[in-house]
Amino acid sequence: MIAQVFWNGRPVPFCEGETLGSALTRAGISDLGRAPTGQARAVFCGIGQCQGCLVRVGTRLTEACLLPCVDGLQAEPDAGGQTDA
Amino acid sequence: MRGDRLMRDSRVLVIGAGLAGLAAAVEIAGAGLPVLVVDQAQAPGGAVHRQPLPGVRSIASGMQRRRWTRLMAQINAQAERIEIRCNTRFGGMDYTGDALLTGDGRALMQPRALVLATGARERVQPRPGWTLPCVTTAGAIQAELKTTAHPPYGRVLLAGSGPLLLAVAAELVRLGRAPVAVIEAGHPFSHPLSALRLPASYLIEAAGYLLRVKAAGVPVLTGAHVLAITPSADGLVVRVNTPRGDRSFGADRIGLHDGIAPNDAGLPVDGPVPVLRLGDCREALGARAALADGRAGGGRLAAQLLGRAAPDPSADLDLQRQAQRRLGAIYAHDGLTRLSDLPSDTVLCRCENRTLADLRALGSNPGARGLRLDGRFGMGPCQGRFCAEWVGRLSTPAGLPLPHIGSNRWPSRPIPISDLVDPSAEGLEP
Repeated sequence: MIAQVFWNGRPVPFCEGETLGSALTRAGISDLGRAPTGQARAVFCGIGQCQGCLVRVGTRLTEACLLPCVDGLQAEPDAGGQTDA
Repeated sequence: MRGDRLMRDSRVLVIGAGLAGLAAAVEIAGAGLPVLVVDQAQAPGGAVHRQPLPGVRSIASGMQRRRWTRLMAQINAQAERIEIRCNTRFGGMDYTGDALLTGDGRALMQPRALVLATGARERVQPRPGWTLPCVTTAGAIQAELKTTAHPPYGRVLLAGSGPLLLAVAAELVRLGRAPVAVIEAGHPFSHPLSALRLPASYLIEAAGYLLRVKAAGVPVLTGAHVLAITPSADGLVVRVNTPRGDRSFGADRIGLHDGIAPNDAGLPVDGPVPVLRLGDCREALGARAALADGRAGGGRLAAQLLGRAAPDPSADLDLQRQAQRRLGAIYAHDGLTRLSDLPSDTVLCRCENRTLADLRALGSNPGARGLRLDGRFGMGPCQGRFCAEWVGRLSTPAGLPLPHIGSNRWPSRPIPISDLVDPSAEGLEP
């Protein structure tokens, strides 16, 4: 079994210790949705400073570039208009 | 926050497990004081010594590896007094001295002293198209290389200014993905005499990078600036202004970098316990200085806490400061003057999607209050980390001090309410 996370329901493999941002980038997924302002969400600084890669995990928004991958993790783009649960 | 997790703590809290933070921890623990080091990443290392994922080979140079091994040996020798908690974020310290930690090491604690060693952030000048997906900082590319030893997908272009561009370019070459071009705003190769006055270690490192990049046939354009990045049918197109006219490059990934600055947005300045900033977090002077500053600052803090005489200041720091000043002169360019020539719809504030036109609508010299309240610059989640410098320069008449847009507030970073009210909320993250 390859460990995988799910981006919008699509399985994405990851390596042990990898962040969600890194796994998505390696899978060629760079467009992480839109912020409420209309700005594209995407990894920019890669180290948790710019907040540009916020994605939704469960009820909360979190930086993809910092979030460690765990098998079965479900993440999706922010639906927009909400800043946090 | 549940009361049972609030504890007065005899430990010194160090934020950042990079060179400065760990060097400080070694000194503090060496004086007999217990230390808790936290880092938001998955492993110690910071930006410079970011560690490869388990099972991935390290791409660090021999010099880097030796420096890290030496530091970790010193940490391990003090293991009973140093605890390192990763995947843990610092939310700030309030006026009562409560420090908020979230993530794996979540706690509300009252440390004996606070050492901020959060390193540097990258400066990235706004350019049309810099908000597009696949346009990242050059540092983000470097972090990927260091953790995965795997180059990014497709054609990579590096642009901006400073020694990091060539370092990343050389690493890409070594991993078999030579960048399509390096666009350097400065003229670093036309200062041979001043370059020779750099410390030998700087020269050897830089020469190694340059040789590898040149040998791979990578065009290194100097005095060149990115005019715009636009999406195309197969990736991105980068239009570049060079002293010999404009050129275009196709790319799938673009790394931008215009130098480094302290990563100090939102951090406390002082508190009821000693607060110390060390390394790039205080003054962005690079890895060599961070190690020296961490060591000296840790020794100073330990002496202060124990009522001992302060140790002699380190001469290392001045040497590194001189070297960085010289590097700054070598890479000097007119990029800043180009800011005001940007197209008016260029996004300045990435978070709030605010443009140069939005800034100009505020009139001349709106000041920090006008910029924030009327313009919403620096009000988004990044709190001005990526726009404050440019917005300040563009809105302030020459000769006046730049407004301080980012503020030192609590919390220092966005924190989900669930992290504060219910510790079990962490269960939401599978």
